[in-house]
Amino acid sequence: MSLSGKKALRYLVALFLIFSLNFAIPRSMPGDPLTNLLGEDVMLTDSYVLELRAKMGLDRSWPEQYLEYWRDILKLDLGYSFHLHRSVSDIIFERMKWTLLLAVPALILGAVLGALSGARAGWKSGSCIHKMETAFFLAIYCTPPYFLSLIVLYLLSFKAGLFPLKGFYSTGSAVDIAHHLFLPMTMMTLFSLSRNYMIMRGSVLQEKGSLYAAFARAKGLYDEEILFRHVFKNALLPIITLLALDFGFILSGALFIEIVFSMNGMGSLIYDALLSRDYPILQGSFLIITIMVISANLLADLLYSRLDPRVRWQ
Amino acid sequence: MSRLGAAPIDDPLLRVEGLSVSFDTAMGRVRAAQDVCLDLLKGETLAIVGETGCGKSVVANSILQLLPGNASVQGRVIFSGRDLLSLSEREMAEIRGREIAIVFQNPSLALNPIIKAEEQIAEPLQIHSHLPRSLSIQMAKDMLRRLRLGVGGVAESYPFQLSGGMNQRVMIAAAMILSPRIIIADEPSKGLDRLLARQVAEELSGLRDKMDASLLLITHDLLLARDISDRISVMYSGEVVETGESQAVFDHPLHPYTKALLDCLPQRGFHPIPGASPSMIDPPGGCKFYPRCRYKHDKCMQRPDMTEKRCPNEGMDREVRCWLY
Amino acid sequence: MSEINPGLDTDAIAMAIHEGEESKCKKDGEGRTALARFIKKTSWAAKASGLGLALFSSFLAMAALSSLLAPYDPWIRFEPYLWPGEEHLLGTNDLGQDILSELIYGSRVSLIVGFGAALMATIIGTTIGLFSGYFKGTVDEILMGLTDIFLMIPQIPLIIVLAAFLRPSFWMVALLMGSLWWTSTARVVRSKALQVSEMGYVRAKRALGFSSLHIMLSDVLPNICHVVMPKFLLSIASAMIAEASISFLGLGDPATKSWGMMINFAFSRGGFINGYWWWYLAPGLCITLFVMSVVLVGHFLEEKEISTLRSE
Repeated sequence: MSLSGKKALRYLVALFLIFSLNFAIPRSMPGDPLTNLLGEDVMLTDSYVLELRAKMGLDRSWPEQYLEYWRDILKLDLGYSFHLHRSVSDIIFERMKWTLLLAVPALILGAVLGALSGARAGWKSGSCIHKMETAFFLAIYCTPPYFLSLIVLYLLSFKAGLFPLKGFYSTGSAVDIAHHLFLPMTMMTLFSLSRNYMIMRGSVLQEKGSLYAAFARAKGLYDEEILFRHVFKNALLPIITLLALDFGFILSGALFIEIVFSMNGMGSLIYDALLSRDYPILQGSFLIITIMVISANLLADLLYSRLDPRVRWQ
Repeated sequence: MSRLGAAPIDDPLLRVEGLSVSFDTAMGRVRAAQDVCLDLLKGETLAIVGETGCGKSVVANSILQLLPGNASVQGRVIFSGRDLLSLSEREMAEIRGREIAIVFQNPSLALNPIIKAEEQIAEPLQIHSHLPRSLSIQMAKDMLRRLRLGVGGVAESYPFQLSGGMNQRVMIAAAMILSPRIIIADEPSKGLDRLLARQVAEELSGLRDKMDASLLLITHDLLLARDISDRISVMYSGEVVETGESQAVFDHPLHPYTKALLDCLPQRGFHPIPGASPSMIDPPGGCKFYPRCRYKHDKCMQRPDMTEKRCPNEGMDREVRCWLY
Repeated sequence: MSEINPGLDTDAIAMAIHEGEESKCKKDGEGRTALARFIKKTSWAAKASGLGLALFSSFLAMAALSSLLAPYDPWIRFEPYLWPGEEHLLGTNDLGQDILSELIYGSRVSLIVGFGAALMATIIGTTIGLFSGYFKGTVDEILMGLTDIFLMIPQIPLIIVLAAFLRPSFWMVALLMGSLWWTSTARVVRSKALQVSEMGYVRAKRALGFSSLHIMLSDVLPNICHVVMPKFLLSIASAMIAEASISFLGLGDPATKSWGMMINFAFSRGGFINGYWWWYLAPGLCITLFVMSVVLVGHFLEEKEISTLRSE
């Protein structure tokens, strides 16, 4: 099988596995599978419960349930939340917009800034300024993102009153939205930046000792010319896949930041669902997040094979 | 291909004076080169020969200040009335690739694997002469044609798609595209088979002729050195031990090491030199070759200076570092 | 070829060229004391990892000697919501428990989870990497495919879902994390195992008929230790941040007080609103510092490995 064929197979298998996992978990966890599927503390009449049991197919064998499951998935039916009285897919798609609004710009900004400054730091690894810069970003890298957000929220919103405490907007105007988004977006960007910075710096450190960098210098290229005309691209390629894999981690971080800043995206949705044990929401969110992460990886893979001529000309 | 009667010795293009290089390593201070003196004349080919590790690459790299950070360099390298070793990185960047160019040892690693060959050759044109990209690529392709690599889509290829010999020629093209006055070739034949090595060396020589440049050839291949260079400098353990006109040095070696070196050649009987080379971290005082020399006597415990020996029938004087002379 | 008597201290020169990449000329320190001179001489990387090691050991000491260091039993209740003062250096929480004692005892939980998860991840990763790199072929393909798939699973969301259902003890949490994080170790072990298994002495042993298991354990395994070590340390760092995140969401073990749980309580029980910043600042700082110490040491080891690879 060709290389791209193998890769495609892996993505499909991953997707399949995770979806199946999602099927198996509520049904194999301790407790009544119905509770696991509905959520706890759901008030329903006994007759309705019986009805539901039949409807959800819990009285049928596992293989049959499995097929049902897949049929529902393909119809984009992720179940129903009894706590919120809406279908799971509706809620999730509505909330996801906000999460993406927060996460995507921050991610891209963080990636670009992180790669550039990380490259410079790796290149000028001896300079004092860059050493301090590295120490700074290392500290951010090691701090749990929600913790840093808590502190910033306390200092800038609570104490100084510079930024609003909660939510996405009060009046809905663009300025207002920006005002609300500023802190969480900054935190996200910082978080994404620090990770990309460290990875890129490491990669450049490895590449800068290579012979082709020395030859570029011997041709008369000066300092940052060597970095940006040669080393940068070579250092970026091996870490594109790393950066893509990090996407999943950063997305999780976004959820936490959302919770701290009380934004109404997926983060708060999951948090509330956790508190009320609304399992359908939790599972649905997990599925959607997984799809996003796998797509990001797929994208990165495609990007990489287009950028690296060694892969293209295999 | 040797030419007698090159420019007079008192007007060299490049003069290396008292060059000493040492490296600070975990194992101690490595003295890679000691008091090396060389002259490179206009339009000539000077070969520096010696065993692996005798310090010849170090000398070549130090001319363009390309040594790593833990090197301490003393001495002077005079070019165009300036001491190259005293120049800043920015000033050196002006000279590298434009007036003095160097070709490294490992062609496949010295080229960036993910940038096309033509772009890497065009780069000096863009950096130094600020030519627009399209024009510089055109000139790069011309250069490749002169090196007989004009067909087969070599220009648009990436180094990982080309063979070692082709990459070597790409590197040479990049080095020569601005017609530098001096080309330093560091072991251009390394890793190539005999025939290819010769071809590459002859191409270098031919290009040098056309551009009227000088070539500093670093090699351990004695026969190659003899065939394409005008003068030869023999190095041993960081020092220059003999310098003279190539054919003459070959026919009548003066220094005991040179004699022994030539005796090692298969043509002369494959006689190895007994003993091992001295440590560069803790060098012995006196003549470095003393322990292994056939002609040693007590005076050799003191380090000899370079002496000139007149050789009227060779057209050029020889310089030898030996108490015998 | 006229290559005679190679090795005129080529080792020294080669090493010199490579050493040059890292160290600058070390001038003799002008510091007055021997310690000052020592500090001046060592490189930044070594200094950083030294700091990391110092921090790391202090946290280990904190965990091991909790009963000695903590002023009170963290479960005893005093007056709640006390500000930091003489009696309670970090004040008390909503139940009146001394925060400083909670902090010191909390180090145990965080460390155990971190180590447990990292250990599990390393064991699984090393085994898979070893088998993959040594046997190659189909085994390699399957195992690497498995690795790629696991890499794509979003780890924290999965742990959240599982933790929501299982409400696990912190051992469980460590186990869960370990069973997801083995991937980067596996990859690194595999490439090193591939390298080692191509070496002459390993091939010779194979030809002589030694069993694969024997060779893997006696020859390949020792060589990959210094590659596994930095990965192990970095896994600890990831595990600790993950544990703190899970606990922050309230999914941690309620019977134990990890640092993450402390932050969770601070957030959900009025610590934040009422401005009791010390309640969540202390555990948060501890997490950050511990992770930093581990990362510093791990990074240093990794960079050392890279530089030794380059000079081979």
